[in-house]
Amino acid sequence: MKIAVILRQVPDVVQELVIAADGRSLAKDELTYITNEGDEHALEEALILKSRHAATVTAVSVGGDEARDALATAVAKGADEALLVSIPLERRGDNHGLAAYLAPAITSGGYDLVLTGVWAADQLDAGLAGLLAVQLSFPYVGGLTAVAVEPAGNRATVHKEFPGGRLGVMEVSLPAVLGIQSAEQPLRYASVSKISQAKRTMQVKEFRGSLPNVEGVHVSRLTKPEASAKADMLQGDASRVAETLVRILRERGLV
Amino acid sequence: MGKLPSGEKILSCIQCGMCSGSCPLGYAMDYTPRRMISALRAGRIEDLYRSDAIWLCVSCFNCTFRCPVGVQITDRLIAGLRVDLLSRGVGVPSELATAFERTARYGNPFGESPKKRDAWTKDAGVDIRVVRDGDSAEVLWWVGCFGSYNKRNQKDSVALARILTALDVDFGILGSDERCSGDLPCSSQGEEGLFYELHQKNMQEFAKRKFKTVLVGDPHAYNAFNKEYPRLGTPLPVRHHTQFLADRAPELRRQMRKEIRMKVTYHDACCLGRRNGEYEAPRIVLETIPGMKLLEMPRNRENALCCGGGGGANWLDSFIWQRTRVPLPMQRVQEAAKTGAEILAVSCPLEIPRFEDAVKSAGLEGRLKVLDVSHMVADGMGLLGGT
Repeated sequence: MKIAVILRQVPDVVQELVIAADGRSLAKDELTYITNEGDEHALEEALILKSRHAATVTAVSVGGDEARDALATAVAKGADEALLVSIPLERRGDNHGLAAYLAPAITSGGYDLVLTGVWAADQLDAGLAGLLAVQLSFPYVGGLTAVAVEPAGNRATVHKEFPGGRLGVMEVSLPAVLGIQSAEQPLRYASVSKISQAKRTMQVKEFRGSLPNVEGVHVSRLTKPEASAKADMLQGDASRVAETLVRILRERGLV
Repeated sequence: MGKLPSGEKILSCIQCGMCSGSCPLGYAMDYTPRRMISALRAGRIEDLYRSDAIWLCVSCFNCTFRCPVGVQITDRLIAGLRVDLLSRGVGVPSELATAFERTARYGNPFGESPKKRDAWTKDAGVDIRVVRDGDSAEVLWWVGCFGSYNKRNQKDSVALARILTALDVDFGILGSDERCSGDLPCSSQGEEGLFYELHQKNMQEFAKRKFKTVLVGDPHAYNAFNKEYPRLGTPLPVRHHTQFLADRAPELRRQMRKEIRMKVTYHDACCLGRRNGEYEAPRIVLETIPGMKLLEMPRNRENALCCGGGGGANWLDSFIWQRTRVPLPMQRVQEAAKTGAEILAVSCPLEIPRFEDAVKSAGLEGRLKVLDVSHMVADGMGLLGGT
């Protein structure tokens, strides 16, 4: 079985985001990147599947130079192959375009399963996984918390979380694209020395295609969130706070 | 066993059991340190890898300190086993793994922005200079992750900044060029690769600046600079703030402005005490404060009970609690309260949040305050206005 995991490099929000002079993009100088959290879970799920079946896992890292670091971490964790897909930041958030760009790279790999996070921190339109499935003519199911592949390798049983604490168990025929919400186990740890070893020894294949002329969303303006009304903190001793609270609840017609 | 660092020393173990009896969490370990060594000798290392005991060590150094043949149990045996477990990647408690990943990425275990490392200086009320590339300062103050980012510890950083200013010390900090020293949570936790990376980065930053003394508030940074960095061929002239202030005790006494009529007991930080042999400096500094009465807990100096947060165990709290149910900081604050003390004085930033939480859980709120030695000194000197 061949599994591909798509690891998108997204802006790290621990660092303050700065809007560029054009007013509709992020200032690149100020940015650092991190692998999208859902994609980390997709990698973990792929490695869990690898431990259960004879499978090879290809890490497909999507981004700029920083995407190489994500590949080294994936290889240190147990991925077998590393594929780098370079794409400039301004083209990454549009999943219609990204899916069209990635499709030939995935097709040529002949994968049985394509796993990625169900959403990305920087996405502008619908999730990448579904749009990629359309491009590949594969079935898609997303919001998954567990994946089990049948021994024959032509079908997978997946757990999908629904709102309200409902769990769906469904079958999907392979090849398929799966949107992972969270892996079955906590993410495994790759030690720093294993990552540096992977950096030195891994063979990175590079995919170079021409950027497709597809645009799903056009960004006209970026702004910082505007502060809405601030919360009122009730002051005083308990009985005074209780009186005020009751008065407010009555005034608003809540009790 | 020969493959472990200092493995040959581990072979000299006489199986006396002093380590297991001294370990504050030995009762919860299926493999105590003595049994670990015995299993290693029997070639049963896989049994150890399946045990939780390796992650129960809180790096208190009781076993190392008391071992009659000098086996480096904490720094070599436990850390060596953790190196092996980390390289396998599976079974590392997730809170600790997160702390490692954040330290690798941001240079601090909290996942805070490295650019905001010196943000606390804005409200210090005194001028705190950032020593840039090519600049010099008599004293280069290594504020540390807790002192820089933890809201409660920031107050003690401000207190120390004001003391240094009052003493007219030519000091500065590294600002956003400072990273985790690496001792916590890396070296004794077995994340050697991360430690080497941080060591390299930090030494590059040190090399860009001229200074006579490195001043630290965190005993773990003290250990890193005092013991681990020299082991890698890069000695640093480091002083813990209690040592730095003890050297200036007469001047502190002259500058004291108010009496603090309180009973105080001092908790010896494992990393400053047992690990680095400094017991007196914090007591000398406390005694400069007029009116204050110093009481000792029965377990003091080399016998002090650990706060449970050392060697990265700060990020193993829930893992350890699930297996022990009696938090060490809770035991320690109860010991402190029994002396009749109103203040539990500490010299390690981790102990502030750990003991303050324990004071609340133990129902001692309002009876026992947890204060850093530097904070108490600044109070005596009348420097805490506006904090």
